[in-house]
Amino acid sequence: MKIFLQLGLILLAFCVVATALLAYVNSITKPQIDSIQQKEAEETRRKLIPDSDFEEIQGEFTYYIAKDSKTGEVKGYVFTAEKNGYNGPVKTMAAVDKDYNIIAINVIQQTETPGLGTNSTQPKFTDQFKGKTVEQLIVDKDGGVPPNCIKAITGATITTRAVTNSLKESIEMLKTQVQTKNITPNETGAKEEVNK
Amino acid sequence: MKDRFIVSPAPHFHDQTTTKNVMWNVVLALTPALIFAIYFWGFKSLLLTLLGAVSAMVTEAIIQKLRKVPITVSDGSAFLTGMLLAYNINAGAPWWIPVLGAAFAIAIGKQVFGGLGNNPVNPALLGRAFLMASWPTLMTAGWSIPKGGTLSGITDPSVIAVNLQNLSPKAYDLVTGATPLKVAQTLRDSSFVSSLSANAEQGFDLANRIFTNLTDLSALKNLFWGNIGGCIGEVSVFALLLGAAYLLYKNIIEWRIPLFYIGTVFVLSFFLAPLKGSGFSPLLPFFHIFSGGLMLGAFFMATDYTTTPITKSGRIIFAIGCGILTVVIRLYGGYPEGVSYSILFMNVLTPLIDKFNMPKAFGRVKK
Amino acid sequence: MSFMKELTKGIIKENPTFVIVLGMCPTLATSTSVNNAIGMGLAATFVLICSNIFISLIKNITPDKIRIPVYVIVIAAFVSIVDMSMAAYLPALHKSLGLFIPLIVVNCIIMGRAEAYANKNNVINSIADGIGMGLGFTLALCLVATIREILGNGTWLNIRVMPETYDPMLITLLAPGAFITLGLLMGLMNMLKEKK
Repeated sequence: MKIFLQLGLILLAFCVVATALLAYVNSITKPQIDSIQQKEAEETRRKLIPDSDFEEIQGEFTYYIAKDSKTGEVKGYVFTAEKNGYNGPVKTMAAVDKDYNIIAINVIQQTETPGLGTNSTQPKFTDQFKGKTVEQLIVDKDGGVPPNCIKAITGATITTRAVTNSLKESIEMLKTQVQTKNITPNETGAKEEVNK
Repeated sequence: MKDRFIVSPAPHFHDQTTTKNVMWNVVLALTPALIFAIYFWGFKSLLLTLLGAVSAMVTEAIIQKLRKVPITVSDGSAFLTGMLLAYNINAGAPWWIPVLGAAFAIAIGKQVFGGLGNNPVNPALLGRAFLMASWPTLMTAGWSIPKGGTLSGITDPSVIAVNLQNLSPKAYDLVTGATPLKVAQTLRDSSFVSSLSANAEQGFDLANRIFTNLTDLSALKNLFWGNIGGCIGEVSVFALLLGAAYLLYKNIIEWRIPLFYIGTVFVLSFFLAPLKGSGFSPLLPFFHIFSGGLMLGAFFMATDYTTTPITKSGRIIFAIGCGILTVVIRLYGGYPEGVSYSILFMNVLTPLIDKFNMPKAFGRVKK
Repeated sequence: MSFMKELTKGIIKENPTFVIVLGMCPTLATSTSVNNAIGMGLAATFVLICSNIFISLIKNITPDKIRIPVYVIVIAAFVSIVDMSMAAYLPALHKSLGLFIPLIVVNCIIMGRAEAYANKNNVINSIADGIGMGLGFTLALCLVATIREILGNGTWLNIRVMPETYDPMLITLLAPGAFITLGLLMGLMNMLKEKK
């Protein structure tokens, strides 16, 4: 009995030391990692819609309004779509214009099969999304008619579906979010003008 | 002298059957299908078949030489594997497809395991699975239109073409560009049906009409003779039945596996295959047993000696399993056709089936 | 045994992949391209050397009965620390190698060497063993990946080596292709060894 207690305590000591070490390293690196990730997200947004300022709208569906950095005119919206692919969630950051047509997309996080699903991050795949409307967001294998559809990556139809369908769903959500939001600000805006 | 004095347990009869004899008889039985293929697609189909067979024989000879075992190419088993593999590809495929497929079938499917009699799965089907995984587009697209027929087997192309082209270009593309099973699979896809027409009811109606055309008597007639789109050796039910009858007569294949395999597909497809909204039809099961590679698979590939169970009851289990899997893949899977994968799957299960079907040893006390 | 001998044994004679047959999961998963293979190989080598040093250092204070859980704690803690610090301070490197780091925790080469070598030998020899085994693993991965990338993608290290008209043999990038390639290479190795 005594030996078990002794062994257990030694193991406990190892665990405590390891956990303490991990907690310490985590406390130092966490803010650094977060800021790097935020900076990356900011950079990706800028790449998708250049020369703009971004205003974050938080809610059920968080998105960013892109305004021209000079004129302040609304250029479009940026959001992150997510859906399960073959090996886990596939996150895509996408920019749409005011009419919800896709400007550009960027697959920012995925753990798909190397050599097949990972091709979803390549421009060869993402470029075909440019200019697509919501209706055109359908994979060719699901009955889409080229060129008004998304061509599936060879050997990675599931990944293609995850990207395409997540975008489709997110744009629909974005639409309803923007519309409900637009009703209130416009009214207040009108009132302000009257007050003037 | 040594060879003539053999002491062995019963039975002592020998009917002079040899591997060579069996293999070349199967090749002979497969020849009618080849003749039909040459008629439908020209000599390209003969060329592809020969390329497959020669590639298989050459691969076998090279590997046997490397393994330093007797070279047994003349027994016809490699020729048969190459021929069956070529029967499973599309007549429009490039020349290197049967060459690589047959080489893979022999090298990885057979010789790696020790040659004839030691392979766990049918080498020709493994070769086909390899080709399907490697060049899916070459294997499942670009079907050649057979002489005197259509790809989908729908007979009245002129009437349909005119009608459909006005109603829906998408539906027209489908019935003129896909094999019968692919058409059937696509029609089961609700997102495709709803995309046929702006009016949901109309799209649904159109799909049902194509489906009726696909499985009517005239289409079944085309499926029977084989003037439809498909792989080289699988299209003509008539030619394959002719060969099968010869093999059954010669006692080379046994009736249980083909009967139970095709029977299972027949019964299941009667209940499961009708399209949503269309009723049961006595013609539909015939569509399913005549289309795709079922006849070729059931008579010539699911009856392979090495990869199927030994006992009679085991063979029946094997055949029913193949039938269930085929119907499941066809109706609910991602591929339009499931014969090859279902046979491969049941091949792998064969040792297990044999284990649970071991006949009781005579004279043992029941435990 | 001499230092040099310890160093070189892992490369061919006791190759962790082809001879000891350890670490099959990362070998199959990350050998789809030579890039991935090098990344995984080097990351694993680094962790292997460090864990060998650690295990060798603490071999006298770990009771024999609980050595395996202790190894698990040490290796997992170590890998997590490497992962976090890399994400915080070397984000570019983390982006290309980050995917493989969690895989290293379950790489049984590291456990295997800890158990079979480092807990019986001194620190210097353990370092040599770690370097040799790591290099052997990297080389084996690169060999498998070379075959798979050339046949399955027509490229080597992302440089096109096959003619443009080459139709890639996709199966080599899929799981069955990984098993077949690895099996054939192992067979070839055994054949060459028997001849000697």
